[in-house]
Amino acid sequence: MPDEGGSLIHVRIDAEPLFSVGPLTVTNSMVGAVVTSLILLLVAWYVTRRSTLVPSRLQTAVEFPIEWIGNIVEGTGGTRWRSFAPLVISIFLFVLFANWLGLLPGVGTIGLFEQEHGEQVLVPFVRSASADLNFTLGLAIVSFFAFIGFGVKANGVKGYLKHTFVANPAYMTPIMTPIHLISELSRLISLSMRLFGNVFAGEVLLATMLALVPLIVPIAFLGLELVFGFVQALVFALLTMTYVILAIAENEQHGTAELEDSTHDHPGDEPDRHAAPQGTAA
Amino acid sequence: MDLTPLAAGLAMGLGAIGPGIGLGIAVSKAMEALGRNPEASGAIFVPYILGIALAEAIGIYALVVSLIILFT
Repeated sequence: MPDEGGSLIHVRIDAEPLFSVGPLTVTNSMVGAVVTSLILLLVAWYVTRRSTLVPSRLQTAVEFPIEWIGNIVEGTGGTRWRSFAPLVISIFLFVLFANWLGLLPGVGTIGLFEQEHGEQVLVPFVRSASADLNFTLGLAIVSFFAFIGFGVKANGVKGYLKHTFVANPAYMTPIMTPIHLISELSRLISLSMRLFGNVFAGEVLLATMLALVPLIVPIAFLGLELVFGFVQALVFALLTMTYVILAIAENEQHGTAELEDSTHDHPGDEPDRHAAPQGTAA
Repeated sequence: MDLTPLAAGLAMGLGAIGPGIGLGIAVSKAMEALGRNPEASGAIFVPYILGIALAEAIGIYALVVSLIILFT
């Protein structure tokens, strides 16, 4: 470190670029996202290849979050829950592991020193993907188009637009339409900013605590970040689920298209979903 | 004199008051409901998490504003 005190805490709000391939600049948070995906893919591949009816320990550990979120979606999702449960579970697992990746030792500490504005700055190779606004905004865009897509699929283009933009007494529509439009778009901002803000603030908190008291005390904050990473992943997944349910709106007046069975959307893993009731969710 | 750090601190500190009160109310009510009816924990859980997330978003907006003040 060049000097003591203030510059000991060095956090950058944007991800540091590592190298560029043609016009594409690869940042360390992109590496983090790829690492997260690889972990999930490898675990899923390994477990599904040797999955048995009586699950092994690893298989139980992998099936547990899937069943848990699946039960929550089943309890609140109405008749079409099977079509969007995979999306909710995937978002939960991806965000969860992206958050927790930043807590591993070595992530954010192994890197190269680079000169920047005359001072030496450590550029880590891997950065937690969700500590980068690009990642969270990308996920929020996926969630945004997903709920629009599910709404259109359930109600048709006309039905979805009518349900979203036409107010109940029809003469209120000119006033309510801009409000609805803003509220739909603000979901994009609040989803991405919430995750980014939490994870980034967590990194700043950890860096500050490590600089103030290097021993013992940061362990408590690491535990806190473990909980926060989990809660934020859950919040992102559950908000996506809620938006999809609101867009499908099968509890409202047009309940025509709901009895066609939507099992064909289901990828067909986890065969033992029917057992546990919603009461086990907590 | 550079007042930027003060502005960032004030934005975060003042912006955390409202969400703090809101979160306190939400958690206290959820605990109250849980105490009255422990079997309802499953039904309370999802709305509770969603409500907390929505209240907390306001605090996160303050954080984002103060980060923007600080880093730009």
